[in-house]
Amino acid sequence: MTDLAQNSSSRIRMMARLGAWISLIGGLLLPWMIMLAVETLVRDVPFPRAWRSFTLHLFAPGYNFFLVGVLTALPFVILAVIIIVHLGTASAHNTLIAYRRALGLFSAGLSMVLIAGWIHVEVLIHPDAQGALAYFYLPILLVTILPLGYGLGRALAKAFLPRLSL
Amino acid sequence: MTADTSSSTILSSREIKLHLLGLVMLLGLLGLWYWFSTGARVVPTLIELLKDDDPSTRIVAAEQLGQVGPAARTAVPQLLSQATQDGSQHANTTAAAALKWIDLTAARRVMTHFVSRLQDPDVQQRRTACAVLGSLGPIAKPGVPPLVAAARDADALVRRNALIALASVGIPSTPIGVALLDGLRDSSSLVRQTAATQFAFTVPLTQDAVAALTPILNDPDKGLTTLARTALDKPRAGDAAHIESLGMMLGHSSARDYALHQLAQLGPAASDALTPILPLLEDEQPLIRYLAVETIGGMGAAAKQALPALHQHQDSDPVVHAAMTDAVSAIESATAATAAPSAKELPR
Repeated sequence: MTDLAQNSSSRIRMMARLGAWISLIGGLLLPWMIMLAVETLVRDVPFPRAWRSFTLHLFAPGYNFFLVGVLTALPFVILAVIIIVHLGTASAHNTLIAYRRALGLFSAGLSMVLIAGWIHVEVLIHPDAQGALAYFYLPILLVTILPLGYGLGRALAKAFLPRLSL
Repeated sequence: MTADTSSSTILSSREIKLHLLGLVMLLGLLGLWYWFSTGARVVPTLIELLKDDDPSTRIVAAEQLGQVGPAARTAVPQLLSQATQDGSQHANTTAAAALKWIDLTAARRVMTHFVSRLQDPDVQQRRTACAVLGSLGPIAKPGVPPLVAAARDADALVRRNALIALASVGIPSTPIGVALLDGLRDSSSLVRQTAATQFAFTVPLTQDAVAALTPILNDPDKGLTTLARTALDKPRAGDAAHIESLGMMLGHSSARDYALHQLAQLGPAASDALTPILPLLEDEQPLIRYLAVETIGGMGAAAKQALPALHQHQDSDPVVHAAMTDAVSAIESATAATAAPSAKELPR
């Protein structure tokens, strides 16, 4: 491999490692960060009070923020596994394929984050009796979004990525 | 790194395995976190939270202890204190609601404490007493006569709270139904709406309730009309399909207290669900056993076949045991009453 190819493959290697763990931990923390942000930024609750209320309701019946986090994280766990298995097994010698896969996975992750973030913000800002149902349907929706986002990313990669032959 | 340069793929197979193992371990850690933060293991922490200065902390802690159930027995003294002494009504009601899942005798002590407050000269005390009695649900059954009296209080909010409490207690259904029907004719629109709300969402719909709610459909109060329509759209008390679905709900742990409570208010009509109710006499939750006994007792002669099971069962909980004795007497006297006329008819 040339130096350029080696640098390129090292970058993707780092992306695969970080991407998997950011997907997993980000998916878990995303709803919790949104909950705290809505409390402090929208409802003007001081952060220490918002944090105390959050930790109190983490396992409380009827709230169970922990379960909300886990439910949202499940599709991101799947994404993390796909990143490791799909991107991790791409050839280190042909980085174009690896880049296409990386862009597809990035697009899938971004779509999932946007959809999950939007739904969490909506549920928190406009609460109603059926709001909690969104938390149960969200994982199904995100798992559906995953291949669509991946397909979109791959299409964009095919259209715009320079055809490197390394 | 050697692995970085030697592998023909972006990640070597060893690295893939390690990452996947890491994911599994993280998920395992999350599971452990959940395990350590729920169930009986968290009771000591929650007892400490009951002593917190912030009422919302005490409220959440009480709710979680109720979820733990009988395993949270060590929290009973603190919960009793919160239910009866706390200055926040919401803290009182959540502690009382938790006690009914943990210790029925302690819940009855809360009931006794607040029944005496129903005649307090301070109107706020009477309002709180009604709210707490309601949060005890069917365990506050002996408190129904004083609550019926409170439903005629001079203060409209006391009357409203009394009606909500009566609907939450639910048994015995006859005096509660009468009090709610009276509430539909109350001078306060708030109380009338509260009574209609109970028929719409909480208590089963009897023929008397249908007769009282039907004229309300033409009431100028649109809110009351909507509630009456919602109530009249519900299945009737004796509806066979409704009883069957309640019987099916008994199999789901999250719905069986609701289903049993509804069946307990149906009296003999609930006898179609006797078969799925009988195993609940052995349930680990005293509240479920209590509701099962009350439901069977309410069936009267129709529950004759449950008598051997009731005689055989020696319940460790004194409240369930007392309810069982009452249920046996009710079934036996109802059986004797139905047998007597047929015995008289024999010589003809």
